[in-house]
Amino acid sequence: MHNKPRDEAAYSLRKRETQVLKYVIKRVLLMLMVTLIVVSMCFILVKLLPIKPAVQFGKDMQLIEMRREALGYNKPLIEQYFIFLQRSVIGGDWGVSETLYLGQDVWSKFMEKMPATMLVNFYTMIIAVPLGLMFGIYAALKKNKWQDHFISTSVIIFVSVPSYVYAFLVQYFLCFKLKWFPFQMEPGNDLLSWKTFVSLVPAIISLGFGIVAGLTRYTRAELTEVLTSEFLLLARTKGLTRSQTTVRHALRNSMVPIFPMILGEFIGIIGGSLIIEQIFGIPGVGPLYVSSITASPPDYNFFMLLSAFYTLVGLVSGIIIDLSYGFVDPRIRMGSKK
Amino acid sequence: MKKILPLALALCMLLGVTAIAEQPAPSYTYDVAVTSFPTTWNPFTYQTATDGDLMGYLNDGFYNFDYNETMDGYRIIPWAAVDFPVDVTDQYIGDKWGITEFVYSDEGEVTEEKTTGRAWKLTIRDDLKWEDGTPIKAENFVNSAKLLLNPKAQNYRADSLYSSSLRITNAEGYAKQGVPADTSYRDLMVLDGIEDVDAWLESKGDTKGYVNWGYSFGDTYDFETKAWTGAAEDAYVESPLTIKELYEFYTTGAGGEYITWADEPTRKDWALDELKAKYTWPETAWEDVGYFADGEYDIVMILDKPLTGFNLHYALTSAWLVNEELYNSLSTETDGVFTNTYGTSVETTKSWGTFKLTGFQSDKLYTVERNDNWFGFNMPENEGRYQTNRINTNLVMEPSTRLEMFLNGQLDVFGLSKDYIEEYGTSDFTYYSEGDSVFAMVFNPNFSALEANQKAAGENVNKTIITLKDFRVAMSLGMNRAEFLLAADPVSQPALAIYSSQIVADPENGIFYRNTDVAKQVVVDFWGLTDEIGEGKLYATVDDAIESISGYNLEMARELFNKAYDEAIEKGMMKEGDEVQIIIGTPNLTSAFYNNGYDFIVNNYTEAVKGTKLEGKLTFTRDGTLGNGFSDALKNNNVDMLFGVGWTGSTFDPYSLMEVFVNPSYQYDASFDATTYDIQIELDGVTYETNMYAWYEAMNGTPVTLKIVGSDETAVKSFPYSTDANEAANRIKVLGALEGAVLQLYDFIPLMGNYSAALKSMQIQYYTEDQIFPMGRGGLRYMTYNYDDAAWDAYVQEQGGTLNYK
Repeated sequence: MHNKPRDEAAYSLRKRETQVLKYVIKRVLLMLMVTLIVVSMCFILVKLLPIKPAVQFGKDMQLIEMRREALGYNKPLIEQYFIFLQRSVIGGDWGVSETLYLGQDVWSKFMEKMPATMLVNFYTMIIAVPLGLMFGIYAALKKNKWQDHFISTSVIIFVSVPSYVYAFLVQYFLCFKLKWFPFQMEPGNDLLSWKTFVSLVPAIISLGFGIVAGLTRYTRAELTEVLTSEFLLLARTKGLTRSQTTVRHALRNSMVPIFPMILGEFIGIIGGSLIIEQIFGIPGVGPLYVSSITASPPDYNFFMLLSAFYTLVGLVSGIIIDLSYGFVDPRIRMGSKK
Repeated sequence: MKKILPLALALCMLLGVTAIAEQPAPSYTYDVAVTSFPTTWNPFTYQTATDGDLMGYLNDGFYNFDYNETMDGYRIIPWAAVDFPVDVTDQYIGDKWGITEFVYSDEGEVTEEKTTGRAWKLTIRDDLKWEDGTPIKAENFVNSAKLLLNPKAQNYRADSLYSSSLRITNAEGYAKQGVPADTSYRDLMVLDGIEDVDAWLESKGDTKGYVNWGYSFGDTYDFETKAWTGAAEDAYVESPLTIKELYEFYTTGAGGEYITWADEPTRKDWALDELKAKYTWPETAWEDVGYFADGEYDIVMILDKPLTGFNLHYALTSAWLVNEELYNSLSTETDGVFTNTYGTSVETTKSWGTFKLTGFQSDKLYTVERNDNWFGFNMPENEGRYQTNRINTNLVMEPSTRLEMFLNGQLDVFGLSKDYIEEYGTSDFTYYSEGDSVFAMVFNPNFSALEANQKAAGENVNKTIITLKDFRVAMSLGMNRAEFLLAADPVSQPALAIYSSQIVADPENGIFYRNTDVAKQVVVDFWGLTDEIGEGKLYATVDDAIESISGYNLEMARELFNKAYDEAIEKGMMKEGDEVQIIIGTPNLTSAFYNNGYDFIVNNYTEAVKGTKLEGKLTFTRDGTLGNGFSDALKNNNVDMLFGVGWTGSTFDPYSLMEVFVNPSYQYDASFDATTYDIQIELDGVTYETNMYAWYEAMNGTPVTLKIVGSDETAVKSFPYSTDANEAANRIKVLGALEGAVLQLYDFIPLMGNYSAALKSMQIQYYTEDQIFPMGRGGLRYMTYNYDDAAWDAYVQEQGGTLNYK
């Protein structure tokens, strides 16, 4: 008699797990299908671009044509597409770069450049996220007081101004005038050294301003709404302290939209920032995508690798973010039709 | 005591010697910043100038430039070679290399002149070494040449052994063997050994023919509908016809009817050059390639065409050497695609040049350090030279960052752009350098394409006025070049002709083209000052006249705008009230030069047409999305005008560079047909006439039939490179006449001579204050340091960490 409710609970849990699993499988399959469609579209569109080289005076263009012939550029598009599917999508061999990094394996090159991008973005996140939350909470708690007004005004400024503007200002004052930091990221592969971290501080500050401001604004807005809700009033009247109600109840509730945002920012650390990387000499992946398509002829292998990679990352992050709602607030059910 | 004193002294001396020995040698580091980074410095495949810069540190040439004795020009000196090459043509006469004992005339008759300049022996130094001390011998150069020409590799630089002035016998055949390639009918006839066209077509004419519709017709013929489509691709494509059918189509069929000049018998021959077929080059043994070792230190080169003097030495200022062992270990072949990663990292690089690569981080920084095994350090002429022992090359994209780093003593050079020229342009540390290019504004006056575009642009829009020469002349005279440069590129200077003053007409004797009387006359003729020069006239000398030219004559421009407008109305090309809309193409929307230049052009011409019949009717729009298709956009009439475009390179060979103005593959005004534009040139008292393209060919050594003006006679002539003063002068005359003819078209309107300015740091010292082409100011070889690295750091600190260069 006593076991029945427990069985129901276990059954309910199993059912929920099955629902989540089904949901994940469905999303993964959809993700693979969407990736294939996007990659196929990218392949066809990039191959449709004209590849006539800029005429080079005194150059034997026949030699270039011969190379293109060998690379299969003159084969029918459909044949090229199936070769690509077989070699890259199924075989995992993304080939070598023909324009940007001649003869070098595109995957290795991409992976060589990824750590620098991830590092600067990771440092930025671990510093900016707590700061953003902190300022947001503080502003919400001090709503309509001068502290809130000050933070909100600052947030508007930092959200409105693009990060490269801070970057130049940071570089001018901290690196040129005060000489506290080097102009450029420390060269070399010792990415986790203190020297490298110090050299990245100007970039972290520049990237961080926007993230801190965005998170502050969001946290303040969500928290302000929750703090004025009736259940919090009830919690206070039941005798909980202000900090207890804020941390245990208000913050947790306001995290439902904020947490996926933070998660999204973390996933975005592999994205790279073209401008910030350029200004601070970070040899990351930022300029790769644009360069691969503006090269003449386009660097097909690089372009396809990056297209596939970022499509996949975007779709995976969508699934993770969707799943994260359920963890932050168990009331949110994944895959449930109810 | 007697013993202690000497012992003490000995100890002191020992300590002293030890102290001296332990004192580190001063370090001299040259820090530079670049905006694009090398990716491949493999001598076989490098592509960009930045790749070339790094390669230049690690590789060397057989010969090199140096200052001449009077320090006002250049000379060529042996470098990796012990001396200048020796002509050994007489040792290689025979069928194997196709060398005859006597020279044949332009008319194909044997002369009494012995054949020379076809075979050369080059002796290399016996102290050439790789950075690890491994000796380099003649066979290494030969093996490298074999790898360069590897037919499986299709190396980007393989043509350096056959498409430049240095044409190694059978090098092209070796590189292309087994690979089908588009080959002209004429070349196929030579390869098949058949001289008669009809006989060749009968025996070989069954395979598919290929045609470049854009190049040959500027239009595409649809064989199914039997109609011209109006579109044309500038690439060789397979036609549905056989070789023979395509030839007939071109000469007597619909193609021949379409091109107005096809009836002229001599021009029908152009079909043989323009039509192509796939040809698979036959197998060629390496032993048949004219490049081999003769002993440990001698290399023999057999050439298809004679090459002597400066041109030979100049062609050998670079060498194609790779470390074979390393290169072979880095080669892979997948699905028939050959790749090699030589010269892409420190591990895949071996130097035999002045420096060796010691650090490389992709898109970040590379460091080269003095290569103690470099042969050049054994050369007496290099004693006291090459003080630099390390070069750091940083990728720094932002100019403001580069300036701040420079001011903080972290860079040794800072290139000045428009934004900084006002602040630092007059600094004692600013050095100006002239480039070899002239940048122009260009038009492609293709009537049918412009007409189609104006139709597409809507009612009351006109573009075809661009085809009127008066309009283009007005555009030239109405351009205030000096003000344009102040707005867009204050470092550069207005240009008055298509060749810059850095172009060398006679490299053997260091004669710059613009300093010749011929070139000066071209300028005064073009700007209409010929009649104003002489005693009692406006200008005493030609130089005075040239000095006065600004290229800006608003009054005349306005007259010509009116004239062009009237002509356009009269010919029914435009209606009163139509608006002339010109689309200007730029590669992007971010370049300050193009942004400022475009804004200036719009304002300049809006003002220029005031008071004329085009007032308020001349408008401009911009297509700033062209990217790499920038130059092709005008050829294809996707835009109506470009500015800031030109050609670089071929500084020592303006004769071959002329091809860019007469060959539609290169021309910006691809609609201009140089084969239909005849010009007359007076040489040795006789006036000859032929078309521009034929003159270009003659100037580059191809025998051409010239019409003698005033008679029915013709003469076969060519004007190849010659050390004979009269022949050299005639060649310059032809060049001048062609330059004048190109200018008179007003399709390529000279706008600016390319100059650059850069701040030099206080740490370094140039050898000469003046720029002496091609030595510049001495380069790394002659550059010296005012401070070693430690002293420099201390000096910068003393100055508060920021230096004042104003």
